[in-house]
Amino acid sequence: MSIPTLTTDRLILRAPEQRDFDAFAAFFGSDRAKFVGGPQDRERSWRQFATEAGHWLLLGYGRWMVVDSATGTVVGMVGIWNPEGWPEPEIGWDLFDGSEGKGYATEAAAAARAFAYDALGWDTVISLIAPANVASARVATRLGALKDAEFDHPRLGHLHVYRHPGPQDLADGGAEAYA
Amino acid sequence: MTLPRDMPAHPIPVPRLETERLILRGPEGRDFDAVCTFQMDAERTKFIGGPVADAFEAWGGFCRVIGHWMWNGYGFWTLEEKATGQAVGRIGLINHVTWPEPEIGWHMFATGEGRGLAYEGALAVRAHGATHLGLDRLISLIDPDNHRSRSLAERMGAVIEGPSELLDKPCLIYRHPSVQGAAA
Repeated sequence: MSIPTLTTDRLILRAPEQRDFDAFAAFFGSDRAKFVGGPQDRERSWRQFATEAGHWLLLGYGRWMVVDSATGTVVGMVGIWNPEGWPEPEIGWDLFDGSEGKGYATEAAAAARAFAYDALGWDTVISLIAPANVASARVATRLGALKDAEFDHPRLGHLHVYRHPGPQDLADGGAEAYA
Repeated sequence: MTLPRDMPAHPIPVPRLETERLILRGPEGRDFDAVCTFQMDAERTKFIGGPVADAFEAWGGFCRVIGHWMWNGYGFWTLEEKATGQAVGRIGLINHVTWPEPEIGWHMFATGEGRGLAYEGALAVRAHGATHLGLDRLISLIDPDNHRSRSLAERMGAVIEGPSELLDKPCLIYRHPSVQGAAA
């Protein structure tokens, strides 16, 4: 299959590849991953990383590696995530160490959301955020998402459900984001 | 929402192998329930790091097998019994990041036991690895207490090369013989 590549002003969203594993494992091995199931060891991170790839083939969508187009640095992983037992597909964002505070999560998530609406034809999408994850909630708010429910997950605990504005609510559907 | 069972959304390039009683094909969404049952079965998974705690974790493992194919060009085949169309196990070539080298491994479901199906499927996978992937003289990593799995490896002509550890647990490294006709 070919996983689509999306581009934004500053970022390239592309398929995860094995060469990205060290950056992925560094993130999931660090305290930065505490709200998304980590920190965890390299073996467990490998399992998670291969799961990310399989998600694409099984469902036809998934999470992209986010690359700073100016430097080529991988700055995070953002995209659509819908594992077994999830309430509905969500847009998720993990920013790697040193890449926070630049608006990358918001920019990449907006592109992923535009893909969900324009390419997949969806009319709604959520983000699940741990209540203590203030930085992530801020990104959701910046994207116009509003907390509209709560969800308890056996592994990840209590999560807030943020619902994004639908395609009709977005003046700019974002089609140019991955043109 | 749960996983649609009519997936995959994108075809996985898995070669289809066939034996007398089995079709070996790529993993598909419709296999998930059988795989989940297997992965949550404490007795059946006690030598392979199981059981998983819940369907969420089983799902992660299911996707991982597909991701393994995408990156390595090999992975676990689903064994489908010709007579019933039922998924009876998974056999494949595995090379996760902490593995010493690619191994041939087998997971037989309750539906696939005791009839020599694992032996039949494993021979086909081993031959495919040697003739199409350049993976001859494969290893199998087996828990010393997993006598059924060791019997299968020995029946296939594999011999113990030495003790080792896998995921912080003791294992035996079995080395398979060269497959006749494999590229030198």
